Parts: sequence; structure tokens; C-alpha cells
Amino acid sequence: MNGLFLATVFHLSVAFFLLGMGWRCLGWLRAPVPLKIPLTPGPKTRVGVAARLAGETIAFRSLFRAAPGLWVVAWLFHLSLVLLLIGHFGGLVAPKFSQRLLGLTAEQFTAQAQLSGGAIGILAAASLLGLLLRRIASKPLRAISTAGDFFLLLLLLLIVATGLAMRFAGQIDLREARAFVSGMRDFKSAVPSPDSVFTTHLLLVCALLVYAPFSKLVHMAGVFFNPALNQTNTPRERRHIGSGLGPARVVFPPAKTP
Amino acid sequence: MKPALPPVPFTPGASAANRAHRAGAKFLAPLGLPVDLPPDWQASALRKLDELCQQNRALPLYLDSCVRCGACADKCQFFLGTGDPKNMPVARAGLLRDVYRRHRTMGGRIVGALGGGEALTEQKLEEWYVYFHQCSECRRCAVFCPQGIDTAEITRAAREIMGSIGVATKYVTEVLKKVHEVGNNMGIPEAAWRDSCEFLEEEMKEETGIDIRIPVNGEGAEVLLVPPSADLFANPDTMIGYAKLFHAAGVSWTTSTYAGEAGNFGLFLNHEQLKLVNRRIVDAARRLGVRRIVMGECGHAWRAAQAFMDTLNGPLDFLDPPRPEHICEFAVRMMEERRIEVDPAANDGRKVTYHDPCNLARAGGLVEEPRQILRAVVRDFREMAADTTRGRTFCCGAGGGMLADELMDVRMKGAKPRMAAFQASGADHVATPCAICKAQFAAAFQYYKIDAQVVGVMDLLGRAIVIRN
Repeated sequence: MNGLFLATVFHLSVAFFLLGMGWRCLGWLRAPVPLKIPLTPGPKTRVGVAARLAGETIAFRSLFRAAPGLWVVAWLFHLSLVLLLIGHFGGLVAPKFSQRLLGLTAEQFTAQAQLSGGAIGILAAASLLGLLLRRIASKPLRAISTAGDFFLLLLLLLIVATGLAMRFAGQIDLREARAFVSGMRDFKSAVPSPDSVFTTHLLLVCALLVYAPFSKLVHMAGVFFNPALNQTNTPRERRHIGSGLGPARVVFPPAKTP
Repeated sequence: MKPALPPVPFTPGASAANRAHRAGAKFLAPLGLPVDLPPDWQASALRKLDELCQQNRALPLYLDSCVRCGACADKCQFFLGTGDPKNMPVARAGLLRDVYRRHRTMGGRIVGALGGGEALTEQKLEEWYVYFHQCSECRRCAVFCPQGIDTAEITRAAREIMGSIGVATKYVTEVLKKVHEVGNNMGIPEAAWRDSCEFLEEEMKEETGIDIRIPVNGEGAEVLLVPPSADLFANPDTMIGYAKLFHAAGVSWTTSTYAGEAGNFGLFLNHEQLKLVNRRIVDAARRLGVRRIVMGECGHAWRAAQAFMDTLNGPLDFLDPPRPEHICEFAVRMMEERRIEVDPAANDGRKVTYHDPCNLARAGGLVEEPRQILRAVVRDFREMAADTTRGRTFCCGAGGGMLADELMDVRMKGAKPRMAAFQASGADHVATPCAICKAQFAAAFQYYKIDAQVVGVMDLLGRAIVIRN
């Protein structure tokens, strides 16, 4: 497919994703937090709050206590997403830099990219399948799952599957892929897409980026705005000035005073 | 430890018939709520939803960012007890989320069903009414949610929306009416309040031979004690405990008939009532000229006081220090300053465990003080299983405006996880500083045929405290 076209679609998708997520965050920020509602016992300092949020977002602390089995699958899935993101950036957008950083020869670098990319891709696919099977097999989970939940899991599975296909089925030429990505990055050359699987993979990612701001994927930003987690537990140490929710009308005539 | 009570199977609709009595005009009108469903109730409810989304960040945030992972499902006592899927917190929130997605989000408007959107129909409103009154706003789900989503905020919003179109429970609105008219939830008029205080004074005189006072509307005292009004009639030993504590510590105190209620049922209806009921305490403290406000044994009262009072009706700079104090904090302070002495032998023969009221633990941060007191006044104090105490405590099953007789079935089912943990502890007394928990435990012990007693922390302190003339 035409490289310039793909490059345009991809850049627009990324921009849409960033603007969309920013717009959603702004939407939350526009609404005030009228009351102090931290979960207690909770941290009393900003540092403590940062630690609480780090624990939730890095280690999924609450989920670990709630459902250790789900924690394993969910945590591995999110870990693989982060690693894949880093790997794609390091291997395709900035390969020279990454190679120097790792101190490898070009051959070694390619070999490790294929090895780690393949392994993490399999991990992502396995954890995604686990999440999907869980939604189908468990009665309570079926009851709470929406069409959107399945749509997202399938979309992610397709993205990972096309990625794995390039690695294991057709052995994509990494040089071609890098050339395409750098062409896309610079908008300079109209390097054609290496093959149709690659094109599909890229377009599916674009679909995910565009869908994200409308979907539950906003949870990646939302958790940081949650007053139950990000407020200090200091209602009595510092007065919380809550706006919003309007003044109370006195419906009753003032009752007898003491 | 093996749970003593068997699990409940997953049964759609199992709790649909547990429906609180609807409030009629008699209770709605005085609270400024419409007495009939307005002809444009749908539009009006959606406007209210809009308004709340713009006024409370937590609401749209929680509705947007739930990933439906289901970690909360088996954490809610009402799901564990009834097996009704709509009592899973994620599904309960889903009742509001469906409508929100359909009407308020671009995604919902564009993709509709894919986003899980649903219209606000009469049937939906009925589901709201039933299941948002089977949530005790206890926040247990929030503790286990990887996003920290607090269903209590969603329940509060749903009830506020329903209230704005005249749909509320008789129990909550009747109590609020009594607070505004008489000054307390039980509807005890001033004369009866004074009578029962005198009666308790006589009891204490008989027991100790000493005049221990329960002052009413006394001006210029050091402390305004705000008890749940149930302590005057249903839990008199708790009231006696307060009186002995203040007497022994030599701190002057008073009750107020204007603010004779610690509880704040506004928390169970809408923001306006939350603020108005809360204001009564601040006004009474100002007029009586006290230096401190001490809150009695009531769970959600502590949330409303410690977390909201300063925000809603502050600044509290006329107090010293400028914040409310909990009776357990006060008692611990008196023990630490050696202003009171206790003799745990007075409570020998009692195997006591402690039930953390949900609002005290998860919304009030008060978990250690009651235990400090119990360890000092009881020799056989034991904890229930760690995943059912402190921040992870189970709600008794009747909080959040659910302590209505007609909800007895779901209340007893919701009490199940707590009862199982209690039985496993081997205790024969449960101490808990919350009037709602006390009423609920008494009923649940009977229902589950458990031979045990529920008492207040102050009851046990009152027995153990050394009284000198």
C-alpha cells in the first residue's frame, strides 16, 4: 500500500489519540471535587499519595489482593504491552540508538529483537486469550461484559496475531520495516509497505488509537485523577474547599435553637 | 478458618423483590422534593445526571474508566449474600453507566450498543430504585478495585437523581423529616430526651452511688457530645459509657437537643440534606459556646463529621482544635494522659471481638483507637480474619439507609459474610461503635441463631472505668 497514505493515517491516528485522551482528561478536570473522599486508612502526605498511585499502576496492588489469579494474567498483559511499545520504538524508530545502547552488533541486535519480540508477543497473545476465556467461561463475567469489552480484546488479539505472523509465518525483513518506519517518521519518501500483513497490523493499531478515547481504555489516564486514591487523608488537617454541587436551600423554617 | 455459612449460588433476579417502601408526599414535600413523578421525569433525571457529572469529578471518571474486570464482584456482601448479579458493584454501577453512555458520551451516541448504552426507561428506573437501595455505600469494592472506583459515589449520585424526580425511600426521608422537625433521627422530643437522660443518671447513681450527669443543652461546656439518638433508647449502655468517661476525666460536656443526632441521612439521599443536617451540629456548637465537638458511636456520622463538616459548614475556627473529635480518640487521649483509669477485670468472662464499621474504617480512618481501648478494657480481645477487618471490613449489611424493616431479607443475607467471620473468631461479644451496626447485629444474631451479644466500645469502657467521687 502507498506509504505516504499509511503514514498520514498513522500520524493522524496518533494525533487523534493524544488529543482525544487530553480532551477526556480535561473533561474530568473541569469538574470540581466537592468533598474529601480518600479511601482510608490512607496516606497523609503527597509523597504517600504518589506511592499509593505507583503501587496501583505499577504493581496493581489492589488487584493482587482482590484476585491473585486475575492479577497474574492482567499484570503480564500490561507488562507485555509496555515492553512491546518499548521494543517497537527501539527496534523500528530508533534502531541505531538502541543498538549502541545495548552494545550489540547489527546481527546480534536483529537476533535479540526477533527473540524478545517473539517471546513477548506470545506472552501478550497468551494473556489476552486468558482474559478473553475468562470473560466467556465465568458466569458473573459474562453477565458484566459488554460488546465493547469483547471488541477491544479481539482488536488487541488481532494486532498481536498479525505481529506474530510477521515474526513466525512470513519472517518480515526488518530492514524493510525500518526503512518504512523512518520514511513514515520523516514524511520524506513514500516507501511502500513491506507486505499486506504489515499494512493490516498498522491499520489495526490506528483503529485502536482512534477508538481508545471513546472506550474504557481511558482508564490508563483516569486512575491518576481518582480522588479516592489521589487525595491525602487530611480532611481535619487542612480545610478542603469544595466547589460545585450548589448551596443548600433551607427547606424548613429554622427549628427551635438550643 | 472455614466459613461457617455456605456460599450462595449465582441467581439472576434473586434480590429483585427486596424493595424499600417508597416515600409519599408526606415525607418528600418537607424535603423540597417533587411528590409525584414529573411528566418529563426522564429529561429531568438526565439533566440532573448532567449536572452531577459537571459538579463531581468522581462520577464521570468512575463511569468512564471501569474496565469490568470483575475484581469487585465477590467483595460486596450483598452479592455474596444474595447471589443476585446486579448486586455485583460493577453491575450496580452499570445500571447508571448504561444510561450515562447512551445519553452523555459521544462514543455511546455513536456506537450505542457497542458501548453498552441503554435508555432510561421506567423499567430501568425500577432497577435503579431496587439495587441502589441494596448498596450500603460501604466502599469495600473500592478497596479491591484496581482503579479505586468507589461505588458509594455512584450510589449517592443515583439516589440524588432519583430524589430529584420524587423517588426516594420512606425510611430515609422520614428520618430526615424528623431531624429537621425534632432534632434527631428517632424523633425524640426535648422533654423525652431530658427524661431519659435523668433516668440514666438514676441508673448510674444506683450502680455507683455517685452523681454522674448527662447534661442537656448546657452552655459553656468544654465538649458538645453528638451521639446517635439511638444511644438514648436502644443502646443506653453506650450513653452511660460516655457519661462515665467524661465524669472520670473531669471534662465538662453537654448534649444538644437541636443537634441530638450524629447520624446524617443526607449522605443517603442528596448533597443538600447532607449539608443541612451537618450544619445543625456546627450551629449547636456555636450557640452553646463549646470548645470541642465529640462524635459518638455512629459510623457514617464520623464520615460526615471528620471528612465533610469543615468543607460544608466550616471554617471551624471557633473550635479548639478546629476539628471534630471521635469519642474513641477522646477516650484514648484521656487514657494516654492518665486522666482515666480502667480495670479490665470488670469485663472478664466476655470473649470480645471488634467489628470495624465501614464508614469508620474506610471513610474515617479510625481503626486503631477502638482497638487500643478494647485491649485496655477487655482481657480476652480477639480479631476476626484479616480480610474482614480494618480497611477490608465487611459492612454489617444495613448501612447506607438500609436499616428498614421491609429490607430485612437482603439485610440478613448481606450480614452473612460478617456473621461467618464472627463465628470463626469464637467470640461471644462483638463490640462496634455504630448504632446501625448494633441494631443490625442484634437482628442478625437472632436470624442466624448465634448466641452472642453486640455492645458498644463505650459500653465496655463504661464498665471498666474506675469512678471516683
